[in-house]
Amino acid sequence: MHTAITISDLSKHYGMFRAVDSVSLDIPRGELTALLGPSGSGKTTLLRMIAGLEQPDVGEIRFQGQDIAGLAVSERRVGFVFQHYALFPHLSVFENVAFGLRVQPRKQRPPEAAIRGKVGDLLKMVQLASFADRYPAQLSGGQRQRVALARALAIEPEVLLLDEPFGALDAKVRLELRRWLRRLHDELHVTSVFVTHDQDEAMEVSDRVVIMNHGRIEQIGSPQEIYHRPASAFVMGFIGQVNMFRGRLPGPGGGDLRHERLGAIYFVRPADVEIQRPIAAQAPEHMLKVSRIHAAGPLVRIELLGRDAQLVTAELTQERFRELELLPEQQVQVQFRSIHRFDS
Amino acid sequence: MQGKPFQFNKVRIALLAVVVTFLLLFLAAPLVVVFGEAFAKGLGAYFAAFTDPAARSAIWLTLITTAVVIPLNLVFGVAAAWCVTKFSFPGRSLLLSIIDLPFAVSPVVAGLVFVLVFGRNGWFGPWLSDHDWHVIFAWPGIVLATTFVTLPFIARELIPYMQEQGRDEEEAARLMGASGWQILFRITLPRAKLALLYGLVLCNARAMGEFGAVSVVSGHVRGQTNTLPLHVEVLYNEYDFSAAFAVASLLTLLALVTLGLKTWLERRGAQSARAY
Repeated sequence: MHTAITISDLSKHYGMFRAVDSVSLDIPRGELTALLGPSGSGKTTLLRMIAGLEQPDVGEIRFQGQDIAGLAVSERRVGFVFQHYALFPHLSVFENVAFGLRVQPRKQRPPEAAIRGKVGDLLKMVQLASFADRYPAQLSGGQRQRVALARALAIEPEVLLLDEPFGALDAKVRLELRRWLRRLHDELHVTSVFVTHDQDEAMEVSDRVVIMNHGRIEQIGSPQEIYHRPASAFVMGFIGQVNMFRGRLPGPGGGDLRHERLGAIYFVRPADVEIQRPIAAQAPEHMLKVSRIHAAGPLVRIELLGRDAQLVTAELTQERFRELELLPEQQVQVQFRSIHRFDS
Repeated sequence: MQGKPFQFNKVRIALLAVVVTFLLLFLAAPLVVVFGEAFAKGLGAYFAAFTDPAARSAIWLTLITTAVVIPLNLVFGVAAAWCVTKFSFPGRSLLLSIIDLPFAVSPVVAGLVFVLVFGRNGWFGPWLSDHDWHVIFAWPGIVLATTFVTLPFIARELIPYMQEQGRDEEEAARLMGASGWQILFRITLPRAKLALLYGLVLCNARAMGEFGAVSVVSGHVRGQTNTLPLHVEVLYNEYDFSAAFAVASLLTLLALVTLGLKTWLERRGAQSARAY
């Protein structure tokens, strides 16, 4: 694995607020890395420091081993895609994409014909060839973001940085565009880092996910690793839906109760909650009551109430749901197929 | 319920009546008087007021002053607005308040300040007279005073507009390798074009019409250091009413043209705001 960007011990404060707190991270060449975290976790600040738009207080960033602290923003060869597109409203789509080529010093600037050819190719790549003469105001959000991407790629960047690239789009366009971005990345293999607070997006699109919280990295790994082996309670709670139990688990448990102890936090994914018809001789404190059933969808979501009004969410297939013949108010018992425990 | 719209109508009519009365009394009537008095002695007398050498000199001086002041203000306004909106630095809010100073200070005080600094007994007075340079009671003083008074116009129009636009586009341009000048001329200024024009129009109107500050530094030398507003005052004090109002009508015409341009720019601005 070749490393494109090496970040060592990077910190940035805004007054008393630690936006990024001693972060070290290697970003592999040619991969798509997601910086995932809640708002205020420092992911955008980290991205902007890589771009050179913010100066770190401490620490160092290297591109292919070269320290870039002394490099001006314009010399870093970074393609950047903004959440709100940041297209130039007074320039046509064509001129937006051509901008990075036209502002080059005269000696390096490609001739007009080469610029036309290149911009044409880029617009074809983002499927907007027929929109060259339009203005940004005449495009939809998804089209604008594709122009922004073509524009960022025009300077043949070493690194492509995307700051919440789908954040301003509606749900359906979001989904289409992120799959399209993944396919595009598979063709181009440009080292890319994108910031998102949407875990589905990060897990679906990226090769590697970096989870951030309070300016620090919680975990780095492939989407599978993150999902199946979360390194902390924060990661577990942040990725997908979970049931969280403090101290003790409800029900007689299929989980190993010998582990049960005060101060521990247990997580069980709804899909790992197995609902069973009660066996006759069960103690009442091990029973849960069905309180809500959401059956509209590929999976059926059942909300159960245990002792002390402890809420447990379970997900089961439509098939299993029909088999159990569950009804509201019914008493059931549960088994947990998989339990993640973190000691606090 | 039925009484309510009626009540509302009564209030509306009353408010409208107040507004219309004020407009007629303070805006329409003076306008009629200016043009009425200007043409009171006929067309011949009206145009004679402009062929008078003193009048020509005043027109000329006003045009030259404006021609110097506007570019100065343009450079200052763009630089100040760019600094304040696209960068964060210590003293930024202080700079913002200082830009407004000429609005807060009475123009007469501004004129006196320049007399104190550049006048014969002022700080630079002896040095200037040693080099035989005349600032006070000469056109450089008039330019200085006018520049001071009109300083905030362009910056004040640009700042809110550029602030609202944010920094993303400039950052995008910078990341694509654009230099500071390229960003200014290809991105920032074209985007702020309407606000800039609007500021220019207002600045121009004020530069041509400024009386107080210019009056203090000009010395009222007829045919030499009188601008149009000062010339009007001189004629009026000499009881040459029709000439005074004729020259005044020129300034009024300028105001009307400014108003027209301003309305047109605002409409264009509203249209392009919808388009973006």
